[in-house]
Amino acid sequence: MRDLRHRLILTPEQVEVRLAPAGAGSRFLALIVDGLIALSLSVFLGQLLMPLLPAGLGYALWATLNFVISWGYHVYFETYQDGRSPGKRLLGLRVVDGRGLPVAFQQAFVRNVMRILDGVPAFYALGALVCQLDGDGRRLGDLAADTLVVRERRSAEATRELARSLEQSSLRTPRLLRLLGRRLGLEEREFLLDLSLRAAEMEPKARFDLMEEVAAHYRQRLEIEGKGLSGENLVRGLTALLFWDRRGEHRGALAARMV
Amino acid sequence: MDVQRFIQERRPGWQRLERLIEQAEASPDWELGKDRLQELLRLYRQACADLNQARSYTANPALLGRLNDLVGRGYRFVYRRRHGERMQKALARFFRFEVPRTFRLEKSAILAASAAFLLGTLFGFGAVILNPASGERLIPPEFFTEGPRERVERIEQGRERIDTAEEAMHFGVSLYTHNIQVSFLAFSLGATTILGGLWILFYNGVILGAIFAMYLLDGVTTFFLAWVGPHGALELPAIVFGGAAGLRAGHALLLPGDQSRASSLRQAFPSVWRMMAAAAAVLVMAGLIEGSFSQFSAKTVPYSLKIGVAAVLFGSLLGYLFFRRLPEESA
Repeated sequence: MRDLRHRLILTPEQVEVRLAPAGAGSRFLALIVDGLIALSLSVFLGQLLMPLLPAGLGYALWATLNFVISWGYHVYFETYQDGRSPGKRLLGLRVVDGRGLPVAFQQAFVRNVMRILDGVPAFYALGALVCQLDGDGRRLGDLAADTLVVRERRSAEATRELARSLEQSSLRTPRLLRLLGRRLGLEEREFLLDLSLRAAEMEPKARFDLMEEVAAHYRQRLEIEGKGLSGENLVRGLTALLFWDRRGEHRGALAARMV
Repeated sequence: MDVQRFIQERRPGWQRLERLIEQAEASPDWELGKDRLQELLRLYRQACADLNQARSYTANPALLGRLNDLVGRGYRFVYRRRHGERMQKALARFFRFEVPRTFRLEKSAILAASAAFLLGTLFGFGAVILNPASGERLIPPEFFTEGPRERVERIEQGRERIDTAEEAMHFGVSLYTHNIQVSFLAFSLGATTILGGLWILFYNGVILGAIFAMYLLDGVTTFFLAWVGPHGALELPAIVFGGAAGLRAGHALLLPGDQSRASSLRQAFPSVWRMMAAAAAVLVMAGLIEGSFSQFSAKTVPYSLKIGVAAVLFGSLLGYLFFRRLPEESA
């Protein structure tokens, strides 16, 4: 669970905070969502204005509104919604300035004007290329405005859900509890937790294969006989033993995730 | 350190901090009240200390990740710049003082951009006067749908343009979006390459000069001035302003002198973005004029009036930016 790329911010309290730069893919998806929202907004306004005003004036007003919406949309959300447009919110992204603070109006303005160059020749090809080359995944607009897009971790909600589902485990035997403590290192324990947390996002076939493979490893490590349990149930059961004790307390890394 | 106990002891504080930040982000400072803000600050500092402590005693990625996010979020709130200045006030100050002051400060960028544009205009104009056939090669086909004379006849003999949606859209909107694109492109290319920005300015000057020369040769200059003037008086400066902002940014980026590139960019930033914002505001005004006033033919509004309006608009834009005496900022 190490973030390979991150930017370090030193707060005035002398604490390092790590920001995880977002990838080009999720940013592009967020952009599509935002584009659709802005487009439907201007089509809606167009339908509203056209019948009310004389044609020429209606078009002129609509074109101007269109201009304001398509360029103002991102600027508004990045400035007044703390760096998150609806699309970015959906994908867990946020625009922050180079020091990890909220972007100022000025910065939002410049980074969005530069979209016209980042979008060259089509589909943000230049922006995506620059994004790959830059260590913090910034496109040209981000470089000019000293901003970056960071991804935010999933909320603790998914973890809480998992914790609730872990309350029962048929594996709870004194022998296994003892072996778990002795034979599994920190990494092997946390791997189980991460796997359980991410299982819901996996494609079914890949999920099944991975679970069986992992289960085989832990069966061997812990000398669990018999194949009564499916791979996934074994993984979940072990996770429950490790991170959920009998008094209903979360333990170790699971507790930490629910901070 | 017992991580388990550490988490159990500190977790209530972290959760409280998270709730406070959520409330603080959703409502203005005065609503939260002094006590809760101070509690937030205290908990934030505690969380900072906790993160440092956790880093030195454990490598638990989940704990560190959560604390890191919490501290990052708190930091973003505690050290943000804007603590609710009224937008109206900021806007008024921006247009009354900041924009004119910036334009006076960055005269050289404006002059360079204007020079590139004017040189292009002269070039295009001269080329068409010397050899009328070159017009077709200089002007992109989307502007060159019909000869000047046919167009004048069509527009003046046709119905009032403002009533025909199709034509208004065709010329009004397409040129409008074109000019926005040109202005922003001139900025972007100028900011990254300087020469690219100059080229865009020059080339658009060429198009303007060539079109003007063609109308002149066909003897319909007044029509041209009246038709393009009212919005052109704002749109063309907007292109130049966009280009000038790009040149200023490009200068900071590519020729930083003995400063680091980052600090040179940071220094140029206020000027750059103010020029860009002015360009965008002028473009919006130009668009409104182009869609309405510019579309009236001679039957409704005499050409002289349209040309007069164009001159007044251009004059007041220059006056506002460069010649108006700036009041003291204390207002």
